[in-house]
Amino acid sequence: MNQSIRGKLSGFVIFAAIAAESIVFSAAAPQFASLDNLVNVALSIAVIGILAVGMTFVILTGGIDLSIGSVVALAGVVAALVTQKTDVAVLGFAASFGIGLASGAFNGLTIAFFRVPSFVVTLAVLTIARGLAFILSEGRSIGNLPESFGRLGKSVFLGIPFSVWLMFLAFALGWFVLQNTTFGRHVYAVGGNREAAFLSGVKTKAVTFWVYVLNGFLVGLAAIVLASRLGAGVPNSGLQYELDVIAAVVVGGTSLSGGRGSVVSTLLGAIFIGVLNNGLNLIGVDTYVQKIVLGVVILLAVLADKFNKTD
Amino acid sequence: MKIKLLLLTFALIFAFGCNQSATDTTTNTAPNAAVKKRIGVSLLTREDDFYRELEAGLQEAARQNNYELIIQSGDKDLSKQQSQIDNFLVQKVDAIIVCPTDTRGIAPAIERANAANILVFTADIAAGGGKIVSHVASDNVAGGRLAAQYIIKALGGEGVVGIIGQPEVQSVVDRETGFKEEIAKNSNITLVPTLNGGGVRDRALKAADDLIQGNPNLKAIFCINDETALGALSSVEARGKNDLIIIGYDAAPEAVAAIKRGSALKADVAQQPRDIGTKTIEAVARHFQGEAVEAKISVPVKIVDAETAK
Repeated sequence: MNQSIRGKLSGFVIFAAIAAESIVFSAAAPQFASLDNLVNVALSIAVIGILAVGMTFVILTGGIDLSIGSVVALAGVVAALVTQKTDVAVLGFAASFGIGLASGAFNGLTIAFFRVPSFVVTLAVLTIARGLAFILSEGRSIGNLPESFGRLGKSVFLGIPFSVWLMFLAFALGWFVLQNTTFGRHVYAVGGNREAAFLSGVKTKAVTFWVYVLNGFLVGLAAIVLASRLGAGVPNSGLQYELDVIAAVVVGGTSLSGGRGSVVSTLLGAIFIGVLNNGLNLIGVDTYVQKIVLGVVILLAVLADKFNKTD
Repeated sequence: MKIKLLLLTFALIFAFGCNQSATDTTTNTAPNAAVKKRIGVSLLTREDDFYRELEAGLQEAARQNNYELIIQSGDKDLSKQQSQIDNFLVQKVDAIIVCPTDTRGIAPAIERANAANILVFTADIAAGGGKIVSHVASDNVAGGRLAAQYIIKALGGEGVVGIIGQPEVQSVVDRETGFKEEIAKNSNITLVPTLNGGGVRDRALKAADDLIQGNPNLKAIFCINDETALGALSSVEARGKNDLIIIGYDAAPEAVAAIKRGSALKADVAQQPRDIGTKTIEAVARHFQGEAVEAKISVPVKIVDAETAK
């Protein structure tokens, strides 16, 4: 009871924060409050948003995944290479899902069954995937692909880019799984108190494993969206995406210690950061200052989380 | 058991060590080893066409001069590059060529080389400290000017123009400086604040999105390298804003293909990385022969557009 009130409160705070920054930016930059720019913001958070859904699951179990940015680059490179060889973009996209699922399964297996801390495993996969991406692409972007490869990234449905629809779909899927399935309840249970969850019959290892597999699936999807938008597989893309994604999850109010949070608050976190970046760019704020602003916001969010927990 | 393992490890290390010194002696006692100069090279990276060409130029000229090159890549990592330079000092090479990963950060390593009396040359990217015999690079300021001239001509001298830059890298900042100078001097073009695309495609795409969004009457974008230009091109094409003009830098194959197919990417400033490589080795050679070498050697750049692209 008390907890749900707190959850709603933190949801309200981030919502108010989005409203506040929107008002400030509307006043400062005339182009900010346009439908066009709204779509622009949504598009700018599409890839990060898709990744943030998976990361929310991972963080809810008390884990972390640092490998996602590199795996996005690797999956994008592989998708581009397969498309280049076969001339069929769909096969390339399938390969991207394959890479995402494989790395997710590897992470999940090592973390759940060999009890290696997620931080370490995914840090290792971060550098392995980046190295593979550079080797497979010989260090250069794989471009000049058939037109079908970039179609997904360019297409628009009901005035909204397809990439944004995919992001909303990912959030809807994540929300549904967490709220309405046994698996979702087990995810919360594992992150809240692993011992208690295990003793009450939750297959904690299996739940952890499948969370990383699900995350891998979403990484594969994000890689497709990014590579298609760029029209190429780019080995140095996705740099530090893991940090942007963790920022979105944390700013949304999901606790890094696991067990508390939701994909809805993650969506709000991603929107908050997206609006912040966009608004600061529109006013022409120096990019270095932007980094500081984002850092301060993350600090405030973590402090708010701490306050929420101890109060 | 443990002791056995330890012994085995030592044995391996010993064997490996012997092996290495053995190969060292063979190279040293080779017929012309006494006269063959050894040059340590620490590149910025090996991961783009530009540096591949530069490396090819170095090797070509080194073969002609009968120098032995020890080529390593700093992988855009300052600490890695510093330790590579320190290794060159231990190896007592005759000269070091560096393409710094960080203009200012590389200075202490170069000062260590100075203290060890080993000659240092820089190629492509300048160093912010230490004693350099000669710096060989494209004239990036002139490159920025060329790009500006192209845009001024295409827009008839007026309009709103944006820049997607990368303020961390000095050679790139020079391109932006030359571009801005030329625009200010010779046109009524309005420049909007530069956005940082980080020199990588996905961040440049985002920067272009915001640039186009924030400036509805934007007419052209100057991009400081080709990954940036191709990112901006994706943004422009997704928005159907094909009347925008994008100018890139480096003339990488994918960018040249985009220029040839008549996309919004209209032209590129092309450096001649192979010439940078050969001219660097030539500078080293001239110094060894006792000639005075200029402190700064500029390698010309040129514009590539649909007509000049072959």
